[in-house]
Amino acid sequence: MIKLRSIEKAFRHGVSQTFVLRRVTGDIGEGEFISIMGPSGAGKSTLLHILGMHDSAWTGEYWLGDEPVHQLSNKERMRLQKQHIGFVFQSYHLLDNLTVYENIDLPLSYRDVKKADRQGMVADILDRFSIVGKKDLYPNQLSGGQQQLVAIARAVVAKPSLILADEPTGNLHSEQGREIMELFKRLNEGGTTIIQVTHSEVNAETATASSA
Amino acid sequence: MDGILLRPLPYDDTSTLMRIGRRTAHGDDAAFSPADFIDLKHDASTLALVTGFREDITDVTGSGDPVRVPGVQTTAPFFDVFGVQPLIGRVYTATDAPGSGLAVISEGLWDRQFGRRADIVGTHLRVNGRPVEIVGVVPGHFRHPLKADLWALSPEEVPQSPLPMEGALANREVQYFGALARLAPGKTLADANAELVAIGDRLSREYPDTNAGESFYAERLDDFLVRDVRTSLLVLLGAVGCVLLIACANIAGLMLARGLVRRRELAVRASLGATGWRLARQLVTESLLLALVGGAAGLLLAAWGVDLLVSLAPDSVPRLDDVRLDWRVASAALGLSTLVGVLAGLAPALQSSHPQVNDDLKDGGRTGTSARTRLRSALVVGEVAAALVLLVSAGLMIASFSRLQAVDPGFSTSSLVAVELPLPLARYGEPDQRRFYQQVLERLQAMPPTSRSAVVFPLPLRGSSAGLTYEIEGQTYATRSAEPHAELNAVSPELFQTAGIRLVRGRTFTDADGPDAPPVAIVNERLVKDTGIDDIVGKRINVGDWITVVGVVSDARRQSLASPPQPAVYLPYTQFVLPFMGVMVRTDAAPETVATTVRSVVREMDADLPVGEALTIERIIEQSTGQPRFQTSLLIAFAALALLLAAVGVYGLMSFAVSQRTAEMGVRLALGASPWQVGAMVMRQGVWLAGLGAVIGVALALVAGRALASLLFETSAADPTVFVSITALLLTIAALACYVPARRAMRVDPVRALRAE
Repeated sequence: MIKLRSIEKAFRHGVSQTFVLRRVTGDIGEGEFISIMGPSGAGKSTLLHILGMHDSAWTGEYWLGDEPVHQLSNKERMRLQKQHIGFVFQSYHLLDNLTVYENIDLPLSYRDVKKADRQGMVADILDRFSIVGKKDLYPNQLSGGQQQLVAIARAVVAKPSLILADEPTGNLHSEQGREIMELFKRLNEGGTTIIQVTHSEVNAETATASSA
Repeated sequence: MDGILLRPLPYDDTSTLMRIGRRTAHGDDAAFSPADFIDLKHDASTLALVTGFREDITDVTGSGDPVRVPGVQTTAPFFDVFGVQPLIGRVYTATDAPGSGLAVISEGLWDRQFGRRADIVGTHLRVNGRPVEIVGVVPGHFRHPLKADLWALSPEEVPQSPLPMEGALANREVQYFGALARLAPGKTLADANAELVAIGDRLSREYPDTNAGESFYAERLDDFLVRDVRTSLLVLLGAVGCVLLIACANIAGLMLARGLVRRRELAVRASLGATGWRLARQLVTESLLLALVGGAAGLLLAAWGVDLLVSLAPDSVPRLDDVRLDWRVASAALGLSTLVGVLAGLAPALQSSHPQVNDDLKDGGRTGTSARTRLRSALVVGEVAAALVLLVSAGLMIASFSRLQAVDPGFSTSSLVAVELPLPLARYGEPDQRRFYQQVLERLQAMPPTSRSAVVFPLPLRGSSAGLTYEIEGQTYATRSAEPHAELNAVSPELFQTAGIRLVRGRTFTDADGPDAPPVAIVNERLVKDTGIDDIVGKRINVGDWITVVGVVSDARRQSLASPPQPAVYLPYTQFVLPFMGVMVRTDAAPETVATTVRSVVREMDADLPVGEALTIERIIEQSTGQPRFQTSLLIAFAALALLLAAVGVYGLMSFAVSQRTAEMGVRLALGASPWQVGAMVMRQGVWLAGLGAVIGVALALVAGRALASLLFETSAADPTVFVSITALLLTIAALACYVPARRAMRVDPVRALRAE
């Protein structure tokens, strides 16, 4: 599903430059659950943002399916991202002024899905994640685990084939972290490819493969 | 405001200093006749002192070159009424007999004309041809009425008429002077008015032919002096208030932003034991300091700006000499700055003085709370609303002023120059006046560059006027008071062609209409319309004597552009001459050249006669519209300032909102929003708030329009064109102010925004 060839990213300081990523090469197959581990500053999150097409300042080849991301314009990358990718953040990044329902609806609103269809899709996700009763609450009325649950619901509502998770359990205690990893496992079993950045050996074990 | 409306006049007990007015049967304000004045003075026990005065252009000769100054002829108690003490010498008083030939001059004239000579007291001069003795000089602050330089004691019990009158002191028909009075001790304005009404009623009954339906009234002189400008000043005060409100909103926005940026610091202070009150006090103190420094800087600027403002104000604005920056104004300004500092800082301070210590220490305030967002939104809405009120007011004034400028005065305004040529009565009897004007006209017509000339009274739009009541043959009225009123004009035959006033029917005057010829008159279309007599040519009109109407001419606005043309009667100056006529010259030459030509012509005929300024009609129109132009200019300046401040404020608040929501933008972009969608979201929010502000502003502007209505000329205070165009302008500016923050939002780098977390 993903093919990376000599991906490099560097920051320039005058005449010198510092590499954050150097010659990253690898293949990730469809339906895999990959954990990326490494020390702080190793470039894990940077790689995840490149995979999520939030970052365009890099060199090398990045193939998503048959699409050569490295050759696409920003507009085409955005189309591809909307079509295939969902993102989960360590700090959840739910929007404070939107309810649970509105937060989950947000990615669909950016994909020009009709309102009637969106209602059905959000209702389905709320049901699947058992958070129907919380749909009218605001993020600050939820626990950390519940917020991350909503963030994952938001990431999967548009039915992405790839979920990118940046330390999804980093702000949660162990029990909440375990539940989130169980959720990822079920999503992966459903066919979704998942790539997560984590510091946790335990969470990394949930994945089918790890890369350090 | 302080100098004109609030500061007391520099006279003793101004609450008892009265202007006495006379109201005609038609409800118009009118001057006094000698007999009415004498009766009033005799009968009014509620008035301790009553004085009459007549303003006049005064020629002073006998001390170097003749000069023309604003002068006043008064009755003896004039200075007693004001309680004015002289600078040197004395002032004439109630004990001085009429006709004793005394005069008092202003400090300004003493300075300009006599070089502050100490021996000015006792100097003998000629004023309008009559010998007078200067008995004193009054201090510079005393210029009443408007900017007078010389006060001369009348030779009679009343101010002398500019025209010879038979049985002068018993005359009730010719009204030509004003009256002032001092309330008797223990009497009130209401007492005086009750008595004046009773006197008016008595005179109405006793002299129905001249006084039917007429009455007298008293009003405080300080109220009367500012009557015409009070509304304008209050409107300008409102405009300044709007600018101040917008400035307050900007400061509040700044303090809010500063409070948010300092959330972590405030959280640390709170965690160390600072109470909410203490934090609020600290923030308000900072805001107060900012406002006081701003207020002090503003005062420095005002020290220079006041002089500029006064120099730009038209002469017709009263009490301009009293407009200055002093401790009263400075204290009020600093007091207001203190209030602004507290008010502008209070809401943000209260917002920031209760930090959520845990959250704020963790993330330093990722996004604003809903209370902060509400305050920010309220500030945007408030700024736009206040700016719209001011912009609409300025828009209405511009529309009104442009309509005033576009008014057709009814006579040609280009290449027309006017010069006033009043004659001293003491040296010029009626035949001499006629001869003088005739010779001036003949000589002017023979001299280039004057292509066509006429003599006329009054010169248009210069404030002079004369009126009369009339009846047309076949129409009779019970009393003279019931007769309709018309403007009186004395003109040479060339006037109509020179001024471009069109002959509608009959004929204009000719040289054959001389002093010994049958008396003739020309009337205007408005008079024909009012009387309903279309075949008026050939009929006789009674204006004291029966005169045959020989022609009808088109209407012209003589008093002001804003006043519609009134019924007018034109008489040939050869049959009805006045000693204060002027010349109108059609020429392509500069006004100075015409003045030089007129001066040389006059000097040849009378070396002691000063010649006034030559003004083009365009300049006269400009002077006559000085007040509306000044009001409009100030409102435009305030509105422009308000627009600038509001645009900066909206820009600042929206920019700050975007900077506070950078992380949110990053999340939205990470979730699939396009930069355009993020930018549009910012624009939408900003424009929605501006729209809400505009709706509130329109409602407020409709209320403010009521106050403005009396200043508008042929413009509705709810003029839809102004409201729609100004609202569109303001929303466009607000949209532009939101555009830059929106562009910034579009350029948010999601990776960096999310990393910043």
